[in-house]
Amino acid sequence: MPQSYKGWTATKLIAFEKEIADIYLMGKIHAPIHLSGGNEEQLLRIFKEIKTDDWCFATYRSHYHALLKGCPKAWIKEEIIKGNSIHLMNKKHKFFTSAIVGGICPIAVGVAMGIKMRGDKNHVWCFVGEMAAHMGIFDECLRYALWHELPINFVIEDNGFSTNTPTEEVWGGQIYFDSAKTYKYERTWPHIGCGQWVEFR
Amino acid sequence: MNYKEEITKAMTKLAQQPDTIFIGQSIAYPGHVLFHTLEGVPMEKRLEFPVAEDFQLGFSIGLALMGYLPISVYPRMDFLVLALNQIVNHLDKIPEMSAGQYTPKVIIRTLVGSKTPMNPGPQHCQDYTEALRKMISIPVYRIKAPEAVSFIYNKALEQKQSCIIVEIADLYD
Repeated sequence: MPQSYKGWTATKLIAFEKEIADIYLMGKIHAPIHLSGGNEEQLLRIFKEIKTDDWCFATYRSHYHALLKGCPKAWIKEEIIKGNSIHLMNKKHKFFTSAIVGGICPIAVGVAMGIKMRGDKNHVWCFVGEMAAHMGIFDECLRYALWHELPINFVIEDNGFSTNTPTEEVWGGQIYFDSAKTYKYERTWPHIGCGQWVEFR
Repeated sequence: MNYKEEITKAMTKLAQQPDTIFIGQSIAYPGHVLFHTLEGVPMEKRLEFPVAEDFQLGFSIGLALMGYLPISVYPRMDFLVLALNQIVNHLDKIPEMSAGQYTPKVIIRTLVGSKTPMNPGPQHCQDYTEALRKMISIPVYRIKAPEAVSFIYNKALEQKQSCIIVEIADLYD
């Protein structure tokens, strides 16, 4: 059944990325962009569980996450045009990303520990790609968070690739973490850009 | 006071500040000379951490985002090298990446391993102060004498920015 959340639907999310792609093709963004696509329904479903006061950590591909977390559409667009697609940050909306694969995991766990120590009721959501979920840092963070009963959920977004490296081929098999949510999807945009040459003037 | 006594006094002062928390190995359990410098730090302000250097630094950044002032301790500078990813790519760059929205402050405390009376070999007594200074904009302070201890730790406490403080274990005696 098609999902909607805070006024966002799959169609609207796809349209946002198309708008960004069009701006990119006009040569107006002098920085990498990583467009989301193919995971609209999954994210709409997951974000229904994420509360306004929760923290959201995401990767270099985070336009959808920022929109669904509540960051204003106009602000996101402005940041992307400024060249910040790769690391969107919005303190007001407790939104944090990084372009270092796996790098957000320990920061997210530290925030979760801070929440627990302060006795707060909000929660941390940490989205990582499936290649990041194969890294040692992910294992350390997940293990520590479970043992210390920290208020954090990890979500593994599995599109089968890290850049264009097929994860299963290089790591030899799939991962299954009972304690992390995993969803699979097929990406509809290339790893970077939108599949066409851009002329910068 | 000698070097170690000055360091111990500085740690006690840090512990008296609201929201400070000491993180690392040999924090709550003995195993390194630095443990003895924490005698004035109450146990509820100490968080013994697994051997997971990069995780520890990222975790410290996360606590700082929550308003804590972590003193993230690395018993040897050789081990701090394993946390460079979080230092270089996050702690040093987050203010720029977020246009000043996020300014996590972490005090990183590390030691250059002693060479006398026992020399632990090339993996346990290196001093990478100058290399770090070339890599990051975060200040790296090296404490060369007892008289400098309180000045440097007070500076670390008062400034808004994170910093790395390098102690010299050979001066502990």
